[in-house]
Amino acid sequence: MKNIKNKFISSLLVLFILVICFLSALKFLSMQKKEAVFPSEDLTSKKMLSAYLQSLKNTWGDTEIYIYEGQEKGGNLLITGGAHPNEPAGFITSVLLVENIQVTKGKIIIVPRANNSGFTHSDPQEGNPQRFSFETSTGRRQFRYGSRLTNPVHQWPDPTLYINPAGQKLSGTESRNLNRCYPGRKNGRLTEKVAYGIMELIKKEKIDLAIDLHESAPEYPVINAIVFHENSEELAALALMDLQLEGFEFSLEFSPKNLRGLSHREWGDHAHIMPILLESANASHGRLKGKTSPALIVEGKDKNYAKAAKLGRLFVPYGEEGVPLKLRVARHLAAVKSILSSLEELHPEKRIEIKNMPSSSKVRNTGIGPFLNPPN
Amino acid sequence: MHIAYHLIVFYIVCHLIWYLFREKKFWNQVCAALVLIMFLLRVFLIK
Repeated sequence: MKNIKNKFISSLLVLFILVICFLSALKFLSMQKKEAVFPSEDLTSKKMLSAYLQSLKNTWGDTEIYIYEGQEKGGNLLITGGAHPNEPAGFITSVLLVENIQVTKGKIIIVPRANNSGFTHSDPQEGNPQRFSFETSTGRRQFRYGSRLTNPVHQWPDPTLYINPAGQKLSGTESRNLNRCYPGRKNGRLTEKVAYGIMELIKKEKIDLAIDLHESAPEYPVINAIVFHENSEELAALALMDLQLEGFEFSLEFSPKNLRGLSHREWGDHAHIMPILLESANASHGRLKGKTSPALIVEGKDKNYAKAAKLGRLFVPYGEEGVPLKLRVARHLAAVKSILSSLEELHPEKRIEIKNMPSSSKVRNTGIGPFLNPPN
Repeated sequence: MHIAYHLIVFYIVCHLIWYLFREKKFWNQVCAALVLIMFLLRVFLIK
């Protein structure tokens, strides 16, 4: 009798855990659902990265590429966001551009989710929220807050020591960091293939200038920065002056020649283009932060960072009012605009003309929501 | 590599279920059930 009771309890427990597993699985799998992006009417074409590297087709590395081509020939610009999906300003800036711009001269290619796999999971033990959102005229639009690295379910196992395609020795987990895997490997790991696909895109689309949008923790020294390759030295310096006139403080950081595998180094060395990487201050992926919440991601307010700033431990000003996402996106937009006007000044034949680009001052004042297209 | 991983996790899942049915103390059964949740999600590679 006792044995039957025992088996009955065990069966109930198994049933209970199956229900828990089912509910957990639904929650986890919802992270794989992509948020809709509503491109502006002037989108010329939309491709997938697998158009440049066939082996990415039907993998989690394949990602959308939005192409805007003007009537007149000019320069070709690539903008990548979401190389690190826990750095939302880069991703959101790309989405804002996709949903607003009209290109009249030259060509702009935008990749909002460069590391698509990184958007499908969250960093373990960080307690990060799955999503953050903005209010638009017809409702809220949600966006994923992902991980810096490719999902280990899509690329596993990590090596103990990772030697990236450029020959740099790194810790094993960095094999899943897209911005350490350039110039990529055609038949390598998933992240290396994504990097290789982006290199192929740069070469086949004859890109002249590429901007990689990132964020860094406020305690990290390379912050609010324009990181440049020697090919884009003049461009970066000119853009910096323009940004300072507009009231944005940026620092210029040279891409170290011995730090390999990063976009700002390998894009210039292997594709001979002008690469630039932009950084803004994101408290939500810093080590000093308190509780991570959608509010921290969007508002950027954190008591710990405000205190750390008072103690002189940060590399950026960080007050009680925080560094909101709208300001970080505004900084990226202002930098993109300044880089394009500098390009026109230095290389008039590569001029790129954009209409309807969200104004950095308006984004700063009104927020991001008004610039997002309402859900259809 | 994925197959080896699946086999190892599946082996542990089988052990946990076997332990769950063999165990007489209720709270030990609950503990086994809680551990089983994580391993079941691992079997299906849900992260």
